[in-house]
Amino acid sequence: MFGDGETRSFAGGGVRHWVALGLGVVIAGAVAGSVVAGQFDDGSQLSAAIEESDLVKVADIPSSDGAPAKGVYVQVTRTGHLCVWESVSATSRERGGGCNTVDDPLNGQALSYTLSYDGGPVVTDVRTATLFGLATPQVARAAVVMSDQTKHDIRLRNVRIGDADYRAFGYRVRRSDLKHGIAPIAVIALDASGAEIGRQTTGIG
Amino acid sequence: MRRALATFMVLAFLALSSTAVAAYQYAPPRQWTPGASAGSTYSSNWLANYFMTWGSGYDKTVTFIRNTNYGWYNTKRGTSDYLETYAPFDGTYKAHCVSHSYFWGSCNVR
Repeated sequence: MFGDGETRSFAGGGVRHWVALGLGVVIAGAVAGSVVAGQFDDGSQLSAAIEESDLVKVADIPSSDGAPAKGVYVQVTRTGHLCVWESVSATSRERGGGCNTVDDPLNGQALSYTLSYDGGPVVTDVRTATLFGLATPQVARAAVVMSDQTKHDIRLRNVRIGDADYRAFGYRVRRSDLKHGIAPIAVIALDASGAEIGRQTTGIG
Repeated sequence: MRRALATFMVLAFLALSSTAVAAYQYAPPRQWTPGASAGSTYSSNWLANYFMTWGSGYDKTVTFIRNTNYGWYNTKRGTSDYLETYAPFDGTYKAHCVSHSYFWGSCNVR
């Protein structure tokens, strides 16, 4: 038989046991979470870094067919990424695009871009579409190839980002083409001699 | 005893709040194949949707789908390691991501 003092002591020990167990579970969960986060880069660090550094405008996308004018912006983050965004301003939350590491910003290609569109996924349901990105200085000319095999030149603008030179661009697909189901199927990069040195398909059209 | 309980409460709060602030990973890291897709829950509070891949040059799409007409909004398709789009201001949407090639990656919304 336990005396009163022994009973209180036993009950107190039980609560302490559960508190210790709870603490253990929380700490183990935190440690496990850190280990998993460390093993798999889910982009959360880059996502946070994007909010910290400034965007610099490198090209324009004029307004057309009721769609607002936009700009092409670049950003170098503390995580070592070069991001290329399409946005209405340098500070707008309405920003979309992509990031690559600064040591391979174009994925080893002569030209790299993001296709941006509203509506869809069927082409005839697409209301607006733009293409924006960067090319190497070796690219003298770029053109968008449409699904009806017509080609439209893309204006390139020389820019310097960090210690490297690039050619930036933003292009708006004509609304009349989209209405007729004509979509951009690829962007080609040509050198000064007119030879094709890069091609990236859009995957639509 | 009280100190232990207080410590426990603080740790529990920190654990829960950090989960709430962090991005919600609606498609955990996995091997993707062409045509594979994933979607988050519908919400009017999403800010951005991003697809993160390991390695570069993999074709993928991120978008927001509206709960009324199931149309795609602010769609971005490209080969960047990290591809992000933003949620429209009005209405209720779910984040949606689609793979167009073979790669390892995850989809997240915040």
